[in-house]
Amino acid sequence: MFPNLATATFGVALMLAVPALAHDEGALHETPPPAPYAKVSDLVALPDFLPGLGTLFVDPATLPAGPFLGYDRDGKLAATIYMTPIDSLQNGTAYDDLAVGAHDVSSVDIYYNAGHPGVDKPHAHVVLFHDEDAKARLAK
Amino acid sequence: MPTRRQMLALGGGGVAALIAPPIVHAAQVEEIGMRGRARGEHVWFTPAGLAVAQGTLLRFVNHDAGNSHTATCYHPALFDRPQRIPEGATPWDSGFLLPGEAFEVRLTVPGVYDYYCIPHEHAAMVGRIVVGRPGDHGWLGAAVGAGDLPDVALIGFPAVEAILGAGRVMAPGQS
Repeated sequence: MFPNLATATFGVALMLAVPALAHDEGALHETPPPAPYAKVSDLVALPDFLPGLGTLFVDPATLPAGPFLGYDRDGKLAATIYMTPIDSLQNGTAYDDLAVGAHDVSSVDIYYNAGHPGVDKPHAHVVLFHDEDAKARLAK
Repeated sequence: MPTRRQMLALGGGGVAALIAPPIVHAAQVEEIGMRGRARGEHVWFTPAGLAVAQGTLLRFVNHDAGNSHTATCYHPALFDRPQRIPEGATPWDSGFLLPGEAFEVRLTVPGVYDYYCIPHEHAAMVGRIVVGRPGDHGWLGAAVGAGDLPDVALIGFPAVEAILGAGRVMAPGQS
């Protein structure tokens, strides 16, 4: 089950934050990104397109933090998202050196999320938008 | 057209007691919505508490465009959780419902049924259904004890008296 997978890979994820990804960003600009990325809606029961986040892909080994790559309806990378459980942060877990889907970031949104399949505890969404129109394209 | 997942949880009948009748919805079908804010900051069942007559068909519908939800009763047969439904009632679990999907369950054993959303129990997305009324044959009231439930879930169950008094009770902050 996905939550168990998240738990099992949590420690590994912290060590495998794939900083090299930032230097291979060209491969991520269009959907689908290469393996080990997998579509989130194929891993857990979530809609293909999540309003505000887009069509998400993630390397399961990096759960729960991600990065999650958010693509717009035309298949263009629009955002990189991180999901950090509140209780983990409270208990001292730090999420350092996380990879990014693209180097250009026009704005960042941070907000609370009560949970969803895959990251089923209350957590923060940290959303890096990669161009000024990205948020609008991901809205619906 | 919504996908409908169906399950009929049929149990024993009951004999109504001769007490002052509280407000109990006797409609043949009652909907319980699954909702959430756009960014998922808050998720809830609406209503959170509902009183129904025995044999009412409950329909859970996911109205949350950005999330999936379950309606899962507390029972040892389902993920080894504490029993918080009447003895003799068949445990039920909707599985994950995507936006627009629905699940139906018919509750016939009188008593108090507590349920939750699997990915959102820690966000207090819980609900309580009261079937029949105290004194009905086989009635079992609210579970005693916390078991392994998180505190935030325990405080999310509306009081049985409030549900029976009003018929339906909304989650805090919802109308």
